[in-house]
Amino acid sequence: MIGGPPPRRANAEPRWLRHLLIGTGLGFLALFLAIPLIAVFSEALAAGWGRYLEALVDPDAQSAIRLTLIIAISVLPMNILFGIAAAWAIARFDFPGKNLLVTLIDLPFAVSPVVVGLVFLLIFGAQGIFGPWLAANDIKVVFALPGMIIVTMFITAPFVARELIPLMQAQGREEEEAALSLGASGWQMFRRVTLPNIRWGLLYGVILANARAMGEFGAVSVVSGHIRGQTNTLPLHVEILYNEYNAIGAFASASVLALLAVVTLIAKTAVEWRIRRETRVLSESPAQERPVASASRDMGASAGSLRSNPSGEWP
Amino acid sequence: MSIEIRAISKRFGSFVALHDVTLDIPSGELVALLGPSGCGKTTLLRIIAGMESPDSGHILFAGEEATHVHARERKVGFVFQHYALFRHMSVFENVAFGLRVKPRKLRPAEAEIRRRVSELLKLVQLDWLAERYPSQLSGGQRQRIALARALAVEPRVLLLDEPFGALDTRVRKELRRWLRRLHDEMHISSVFVTHDQEEALEVADRVVVMNQGRVEQIGSPDDVYSHPASPFVYQFLGNVNVFHSRVHGAWADIGREQAQDLPADEATAFVRPHDIEIEHRPAPGGLAATVQQVHTVGPLVRVELAYASELIEVELTRERARSLALREGQQVWFRPRELRVFAVPQSGLEEGGSGI
Repeated sequence: MIGGPPPRRANAEPRWLRHLLIGTGLGFLALFLAIPLIAVFSEALAAGWGRYLEALVDPDAQSAIRLTLIIAISVLPMNILFGIAAAWAIARFDFPGKNLLVTLIDLPFAVSPVVVGLVFLLIFGAQGIFGPWLAANDIKVVFALPGMIIVTMFITAPFVARELIPLMQAQGREEEEAALSLGASGWQMFRRVTLPNIRWGLLYGVILANARAMGEFGAVSVVSGHIRGQTNTLPLHVEILYNEYNAIGAFASASVLALLAVVTLIAKTAVEWRIRRETRVLSESPAQERPVASASRDMGASAGSLRSNPSGEWP
Repeated sequence: MSIEIRAISKRFGSFVALHDVTLDIPSGELVALLGPSGCGKTTLLRIIAGMESPDSGHILFAGEEATHVHARERKVGFVFQHYALFRHMSVFENVAFGLRVKPRKLRPAEAEIRRRVSELLKLVQLDWLAERYPSQLSGGQRQRIALARALAVEPRVLLLDEPFGALDTRVRKELRRWLRRLHDEMHISSVFVTHDQEEALEVADRVVVMNQGRVEQIGSPDDVYSHPASPFVYQFLGNVNVFHSRVHGAWADIGREQAQDLPADEATAFVRPHDIEIEHRPAPGGLAATVQQVHTVGPLVRVELAYASELIEVELTRERARSLALREGQQVWFRPRELRVFAVPQSGLEEGGSGI
């Protein structure tokens, strides 16, 4: 064998460039993702587990965790409903204003969350459009739970729809048409054919929407009014504690959010893996083809037997 | 069950998919809707199935108005070109679907469903694949499962949209013979869409040739091939040479009986490549031409003749070609054994040479 450096593929980048790119990527990851994550937990645990748990069982912290969960649980069903409806409309029908709808679905991503909060303050606030009517009927929207749910709904609206639109467009209508021609009702078609086909995409969208709903700060901050123990979500609670120089409390609460992020990432990866596996199965090698002709002599017999049974009569 | 299609029209935006189509599909027949892509054949099939609604016209099932009956109530079995099997269900569940979604009162018991599905899987000879998923099957197997699924609900009509279009040649040939035999066993009225003339001529009892949203001709396979009703049908079913009377005066003479009512200019003669005789000597009605190329294509010998500025395609049997012993550049005389003269202006059709 001839010595020298191992042969390099003709289309490969030079070794130094590869190392530089990989190094930059990993370095960035460590600096901006891993170190902060470690810092959150080490700060939270700086005074030991006792103080950490104490910060978490604090009534205000408990209330913030509860409120965050309530908001997420209220927002997600609406999100799923809107996401499926919008994706269905866009993927299955042509209607005037379709392009506008596609564009508008992304609006919450494009607008700064603080602006979103202010907009809803203008609509539902005391001086807002519905303000006087709401006050007259003694309904509290802003600086209360309903307002926080509404802005979170707005912020997270695109996640499910954006996952489903390309998926449903790629899958087409044929399976649904097949279901209808086999006698399925609209609901049976949706539950037995459409939903199973989009379930992983739907779950993926829900995981992302959930992470965002729990982590949202700007918009919720504007409409919450920061009433401690009443309208503080976890992110708001973190900010208040930090401003009060309660580092351990702030970081303990932040660690709950960080933990949520890690769980989200793991769930997201698992679902992605599942989606990839399902699409890979589609391209897997088919079963061995048996020639039809060789077996077709039996066909007459089986067709005959099918006809001869009373319930299997062909009109 | 018979299907009557009465003056159906359908537009998609400015595109006219179907223009005043009237058609009868008698009970128990296997009918092919044949035409090039975009001729409206799939739209017509989808209208019969209730997946598309016509802008005007009526559909009658067994003499009863069915134009506005919902797809799920039409009792129509539909087989898609790309199978449209439910990808998350096993083969067994795919076939059982139509039985499981029946209203509770009509739904068969689980044991009955099992029995019916395994019977259908035996019928399509795939009972050994019951527990597999569609992704694990080959194209031919998928299409047979799709057929079993459509048959499970005991449809009154079976509609197949390019059922063999996505399969390779060998599987396609096997499957279409198999479909023909299946149809002969079941006598269920069936309509299938195809753009493959060979498939239509081989499988169907009756062929409906369509072009640009209209029905060009309806007839038995032999009828549409031997007696094409229009230049389009002539060109779509096999190769054809087209001659204009002005240029080819002598040939228009041959076809005079057919063309006597027409002004000489507008007559156009159509001749199939295998209906042309080649001679070494001038013959009455023969035209002189030069042999351009001689290919042997399987059982046939294809000869290209240069006549004036045009190429004439001739198909000879091997024996005939051997006895003629044609050489390139040789002068010969050719005349048609059979030709057809049409009075239609030939815009849009390929002139000289051969059609599709």
